[in-house]
Amino acid sequence: MQFFTSGFFWFIEGIFLCLIIIGLKYWTEERNIPMPFWKWLVILIWILYSGFTIAFIGTCLGENEPAAALKGGMLFSLIAIVSAYGLSRLLGFFRLTRHQPK
Amino acid sequence: MEKSEDWRKLSRRQFLKASGAASAVMGSAGLGVFGYQAGKDSFSYTGCESFQGQAENFNRQRFAADHATYEKVGVASRVDARTEVIFSRVSSLMRQWDEEKGLDSLDKGLQAYYKKHPYDLKEDLHARKKIFPKRQKDEIKYKKKFVLAKAWSNAMSAVWPPGIRETPERYDFPRGEQYGEPVEPLKMKSPEKTSQLIKQISYQLGSTLVGITKLNPDWVYSYPMWGRGLNPELPLEIPGHWEYAIVIGTPMSWDPMYANPNYGTSFDAYAKSRIIAYRLIKFIRQLGYPARPHTPGVEYDLMVPPIAIDAGLGEQGRHGVMITPELGSNFRPAVVTTNIPMKTDKPIDFGVQDFCKTCRICAKNCPSRAIPMGDKEVVRGYRRYKINSSRCYNFWYSNLGNIGCRLCVTVCPYTRKSNWLHRTALEVTANDPSGMSQRILSKMQKSFYPAPHPQEYYIPSMGGKNESYREPPWWLQTEDFIDIDI
Repeated sequence: MQFFTSGFFWFIEGIFLCLIIIGLKYWTEERNIPMPFWKWLVILIWILYSGFTIAFIGTCLGENEPAAALKGGMLFSLIAIVSAYGLSRLLGFFRLTRHQPK
Repeated sequence: MEKSEDWRKLSRRQFLKASGAASAVMGSAGLGVFGYQAGKDSFSYTGCESFQGQAENFNRQRFAADHATYEKVGVASRVDARTEVIFSRVSSLMRQWDEEKGLDSLDKGLQAYYKKHPYDLKEDLHARKKIFPKRQKDEIKYKKKFVLAKAWSNAMSAVWPPGIRETPERYDFPRGEQYGEPVEPLKMKSPEKTSQLIKQISYQLGSTLVGITKLNPDWVYSYPMWGRGLNPELPLEIPGHWEYAIVIGTPMSWDPMYANPNYGTSFDAYAKSRIIAYRLIKFIRQLGYPARPHTPGVEYDLMVPPIAIDAGLGEQGRHGVMITPELGSNFRPAVVTTNIPMKTDKPIDFGVQDFCKTCRICAKNCPSRAIPMGDKEVVRGYRRYKINSSRCYNFWYSNLGNIGCRLCVTVCPYTRKSNWLHRTALEVTANDPSGMSQRILSKMQKSFYPAPHPQEYYIPSMGGKNESYREPPWWLQTEDFIDIDI
């Protein structure tokens, strides 16, 4: 299980992040959602924050601190969910109509 | 043809979108497993990688200060080891006290101390009169639970270099060629290189952290302890060759430390630090320079924590214990005094004073209420948090597990294993001058890491439940290995 604390793991995570961004790019193009630089920045921050939340829960469980995992996990997850809803409204993800391909 | 191209284009887009969604799921799962591994990883037990010096990995240069963060506010007075060090005082009291004669049964020094501090006499006698009988009663019923913890503690202290029985003038100096120790000091190339060498040797001997400072005479006892080759009836004249102090040390084993006060033991780190100090004096003497160890358990001619603070290893916390960036409070130091010329380290200021002002976790969790909730006081010319050592020591002796308590070390928010989460928290608090992150993190510590009520740590006869802060590690759970009725 040393893989998960190795540099190669972060390389794979980087590939996953690229795929997430590419997938999101196509998804927003299909919906005609304009994506200026600041929107990508906000999304990236949210992704990193969500990653922190998941890693925090895992770390607390690994340290045998289930109360910290539960309480911290609930708090950080709630912030992640609320901010995701707020961001989707702010970035206009569900406002515009879907692009119809010719 | 056109239709086919549309189909392929659509397929690629769909594929990449699906890949993005799958990556989100797999990346999240990966982060969860990474976190779990980081929390469990044995390399997060700082100190496990000793012998290479890799544990001393906090950038102290950034936080170097011209003065240590303790504050001198008046004329300093040195500590009288016979009465002001709790171990010496209580040991003398127990030997000399006669119930009928009262204070008259004590030697003059002790009488004078207790006349000046009557509260301490009450507390020190409390252990003898009230706590010991209750403890003896509970021992019969409950001590079996701690068989493995005690066996482990005793095993750790089984190798214990013998103490010093000679004066500094005799003991500290090289013994001559028959011991491989030159009488004339070898000429060292430069203080910088000597510091580098001494630090590397200390790491190689197993020290987790190493710091070097000029010895401040305020930290040397005014009267020495018994059993150090010095006459406790005479003031301790500071020998000229106690010019520098090298501070070395190791942490206590992490998992038992979290199961304080019963399952942890100071003696694992005590023994390691003591052995390192005795090896280091041998090394220095082989270079022809005098060296004297000041080591745990209780064999010192000086106060170690302020010297370690001067040597840039950490800052003093509310609980009176030095807090280091790498190990928090989980550090058991020893000192070697010598006159081999070395470059000294600077003290550091990484925000502990501000943190301790508002945190108070150690004070709230202290079963004996020995740690103050209030502000610092002036103690012997220095402003610091004043610990009630008598109350602290009384709890030590009520405890059925390994001797001592160490709960203040355990609950300190800085005492965390070295993984990404706690290293990030450390860096954030150390670099935030506003103090906001410190307040937020100490609140998170209080709410995320629950602890038993302080009374529950006591033995049942004293209204407690023999509680520990956390469950002991599997290898100290007696009931899983030994067929005895607990």
